[in-house]
Amino acid sequence: MEQQLSQIKSEAMAAIKAAENLTVLNEQRVKYLGKKGSLTAILRGMGKLPAEDRPRVGQLVNDVRKELETVLDEQQSALKEAELTNRLASEKIDVTLPGRRQEIGHLHPLTLTLNKLKTIFKSMGYSIAEGPQIETDYFNFEALNLPKDHPARDMQDSFYITEDILMRTQTSPVQARTMQSHEPNSPIRIIAPGRVYRRDDYDATHSPMFTQVEGLCIDKDIRFSDLKGTLTTAMRQVFGKDLELRFRPSFFPFTEPSAEVDISCVMCHGKGCRVCKGTGWLEVLGAGMVHPRVLEMSGYDPKQVSGFAFGMGVERIAMLSYGIEDLRLFFDNDLRFLKQF
Amino acid sequence: MQVSIKWLKDYIDFNETAEKLADMLTMAGVPVENVIDPGEGLDKVITGRIEKIEPHQDSDHLQICTMNVGNSENIIIVTGAQNVAEGQIVPVAMVGAHLPNGMKISKGKLRGVMSYGMLCSAQELKLDLETLPENQKTGIFILPADTTVGINVKDHLGLNDKVLEFELTANRSDCFSVFGLVREIAALTGNKIKWPNIAVKEDEPTKISDCFSAEIKDHDLCSRFSTRMLKNVKIGPSPEWMQQRLDGAGIRPINNVVDVTNFVMIELGQPMHAYDYDEISGQKLTARRAVEGELLHTLDDTSRKAKKDMLVIADSEKAAGLAGIMGGFETEISEKTTTVILESAKFYGPSIRRTARACGLSSEASGRFERGTDSENTLRALDRAAQLLQEMGACNVCTGIVDVYPQPQQSITVNFTPEQINQHLGTAIPKQTMIDILNKLEIKTTDNGADITAYIPSWRNDISCMQDISEEISRIYGFDNIAATLPSGAALQGSQSEQQTFIDKVKDLMCSMGLYETVSFAFTHPSMFDKLNVPAEHHIRQAVPIMNPLTDDYPLVRTCLLTSVMENLARNFAHKNNDVKIFEVASVFQPVNLPVTELPVEKTKLAGALTGRRNQLGWNQSNDNLDFFDAKGIIEELLEKLAITRYTVEAGEHFAMHPGKTAVFKKGRDIIFQVGELHPSAAVAFGITKPVYIFSADIETLIKYQAKAVKSKSLPKYPAVSRDLAVIVDSTVDAGLIQKTITKSAGQYLVNLDLFDVYEGKQIEDGKKSMAFSLMFQANEKTLTDEEIDIHFSKITAELEKSCNAVLRS
Repeated sequence: MEQQLSQIKSEAMAAIKAAENLTVLNEQRVKYLGKKGSLTAILRGMGKLPAEDRPRVGQLVNDVRKELETVLDEQQSALKEAELTNRLASEKIDVTLPGRRQEIGHLHPLTLTLNKLKTIFKSMGYSIAEGPQIETDYFNFEALNLPKDHPARDMQDSFYITEDILMRTQTSPVQARTMQSHEPNSPIRIIAPGRVYRRDDYDATHSPMFTQVEGLCIDKDIRFSDLKGTLTTAMRQVFGKDLELRFRPSFFPFTEPSAEVDISCVMCHGKGCRVCKGTGWLEVLGAGMVHPRVLEMSGYDPKQVSGFAFGMGVERIAMLSYGIEDLRLFFDNDLRFLKQF
Repeated sequence: MQVSIKWLKDYIDFNETAEKLADMLTMAGVPVENVIDPGEGLDKVITGRIEKIEPHQDSDHLQICTMNVGNSENIIIVTGAQNVAEGQIVPVAMVGAHLPNGMKISKGKLRGVMSYGMLCSAQELKLDLETLPENQKTGIFILPADTTVGINVKDHLGLNDKVLEFELTANRSDCFSVFGLVREIAALTGNKIKWPNIAVKEDEPTKISDCFSAEIKDHDLCSRFSTRMLKNVKIGPSPEWMQQRLDGAGIRPINNVVDVTNFVMIELGQPMHAYDYDEISGQKLTARRAVEGELLHTLDDTSRKAKKDMLVIADSEKAAGLAGIMGGFETEISEKTTTVILESAKFYGPSIRRTARACGLSSEASGRFERGTDSENTLRALDRAAQLLQEMGACNVCTGIVDVYPQPQQSITVNFTPEQINQHLGTAIPKQTMIDILNKLEIKTTDNGADITAYIPSWRNDISCMQDISEEISRIYGFDNIAATLPSGAALQGSQSEQQTFIDKVKDLMCSMGLYETVSFAFTHPSMFDKLNVPAEHHIRQAVPIMNPLTDDYPLVRTCLLTSVMENLARNFAHKNNDVKIFEVASVFQPVNLPVTELPVEKTKLAGALTGRRNQLGWNQSNDNLDFFDAKGIIEELLEKLAITRYTVEAGEHFAMHPGKTAVFKKGRDIIFQVGELHPSAAVAFGITKPVYIFSADIETLIKYQAKAVKSKSLPKYPAVSRDLAVIVDSTVDAGLIQKTITKSAGQYLVNLDLFDVYEGKQIEDGKKSMAFSLMFQANEKTLTDEEIDIHFSKITAELEKSCNAVLRS
């Protein structure tokens, strides 16, 4: 019997180790350890043994069973692992294939630029004001100290609807509208973004419609130096903290003193290049201290309050920010352009 | 306005280069647009004499010139020019020269002979060909025989005087003159001005007042009319120095009288006109409004019809010129002129501006009148002109003047305190510095202790208040020297309106669903209405016309945003962008009445278009084109995210949409959205061959229905029960009706209803369709039993049978 046992063991060991897959392994488990298995048969046959031999043989059979079970488990683990490895290998995909994308659209670059400006000025306490795009001559010109026949009207040839109604040439009329809707002399800080219209030929740098942001700050003791500081802070947020600003004396009928504001060229950082025509400077803003007549006409008292105003072209800033060379791209709305932002 | 450095230096010394001066003036508010160097590129071009000409052995058109260029050794230059001869003096571009036309001169072999330079033509020197005689326009430019050899051609031709070209602002009329600019330079450099001594010797006893008179009829258009009379006038060329000054100012010399009037205009800023006295009928000039339709024969030999608001200068018979703009033909100075009346007047700027524009005649003179001349300056200009002509020996000056100046200009004073100025600017400029700056600008001051009085000179019509004084001080003090500070007042909260926030959200949502934002012109054309199928009487056709449109393409202001959307779509198709998903939020303008008498109503619209593939091209993406339901789905999703709920959707109409494929979203009677397939006729009109889906909404209406606040609901505690329901109905029955019927009859526990299948075809009778819904029931307070749900379910089926003629599909 012992000899038989040892033969079963060696036979089983060999069979288990030879099992190539879990099914075969399981067959071997049944063959040797199952109810009708050979080891079980030996246990059954123990009754025929003398009583004193039984514990020893029983112990031997159990030892063999345990040994076989251990080997079976080991083999099972090994086979399972091999099987998993195989499966994983067979399930390999080409991860370099493009993913399935959900296309998201883009805001127009002018909107993106405008949003940036709005965020900057809101953080500086400016509210967003709006006004009509078709405007009266009064608000567009006269309330801004530009009487009829003023030579400065030449600077901005307008689209007229009637003698007294026109497509606004600037967002500045929102200044007068805002002042007139406020309690006289109450503080104001607004920016007025919007489309404006001028009778300019459509080319790489001109357009009959473009976008402006007008700013107005009125309070007690507002000074020209405050205008310099405000625009310097704002423009550095747009173009970076190393930006330099240059204020040149100029003329606008609605401000006194008036300034054209240049920024150091964002392409060459002031060294001089094609974009800045070698000057190192780019003109981006017009600004000045609100003219006392403009304050008076809108019910504010220039002896009590003062203020500054500024205006900038959003297209210009967007062109500089994104390196766009032709203004017409904004209004062509070619998707190949719009998808770049 | 342009002026040469030499002219400026006639009256003030400065050491700054032209470029530096230009920068200083620009930074003081007198912007220089350009520094023109007429001798640019001529640095290494010198005068040389052709000592010897030999033929070239290997060429029948090249010649070998031995040139004396003022050095001890002659140089050899091979030329192809045929108009050269021995002994001629010609311009020689030496090796290293970089000519105005971009040509760089280097030594080189021409058919085997070394050449050390190039002989130049007038064109190569960039000379003004129009002023040259015919034989000098082509070939080598031949210099006069007495020209010194070996000097710079630039100096010889007077091309060494740089010119400043100004882009002056409208307020600084005084800077449209050499005198005005000299004052600015004096203030900036601190150098002393050397004004010319303007004095005239009346060397002709004839008194002008005995033989000539002047009158102003319309004082609002002409406030001063001053004249002088010159006798024994000899018309001839003006002297070389004057011609050069005029050249630099961009004015072509004509003859001494015309040149002097132009010279004085540039020098003093006072335009002048010269009349042939013998041609003035009645020996009297009158400044008056024209009679409507009055004929004017102007000196350009054109007959013009004057309008009644134009100012003319008339003699006793006829209008003899448009005041300040163009003189008359008959009274023009000619070779035969012997007696001249010089006019120096002050005309009302806006009137001159209107007339100049109406006649399309803008000139140096009219530009100055438009901006406003100095009425105190007229006599000085007369004297200056008479003096110059007299000095040339071109005339005798008659005794006296005729000067009509009924209401002399009031002088202006401005009182200010240094504190006011410093407060306005945010500076701490000392009082004395302020006074010095003003005085240098020839603005006299008196220090009253408490304040300062500034006496504004007659030529500074732009200064009338403290703020103007602050500008004068700050621009000379230097804007760069003013600190950058931030406003101190009470902090204000930056905010934006509800509508602005709403629009930002709409745009973000549209982008998140794959649409691209466009920005279009607010103009349109009537043909767009035809293309878009807009009915004849529709209010959209009542668009605001622009009086002076830029081109015929855009005569109207748009009333409908879809016109812009369609233009953008068409443009994208033209660029072969076939998958287009675009939207725009922008204003449309509906007039209250036509013709327009008040501001139109501006409304903010949302519109867009979708066409092409649903998904981006991809190996694992379906290649299907998007359809109506993609467009509708976008709208549904948008409305949900905008918290606009409980709307109804029904089949509707829109002129630009397919009548069978148009959905109208409604809240009560308000239409909140329209979406549909582009009408086939519109598609044809735009040349589009594939389906396009368009949508349109009104932002103000959408905002009205936006839920004001979002309230969170607690999550359900009891399980939900799902039931499917399939019904067969007539094909014509809308899904919307079935859904509405289910919702109405389902009772309180129906929490969700999804249509998951629509089927027509096999196993379904013709003219019928099957629709399958998934219903979800849930109660907040208990677990629903099957029995309870059965009750609701049978109510639903009963109602569906009754109102939709539906049969439950087994």
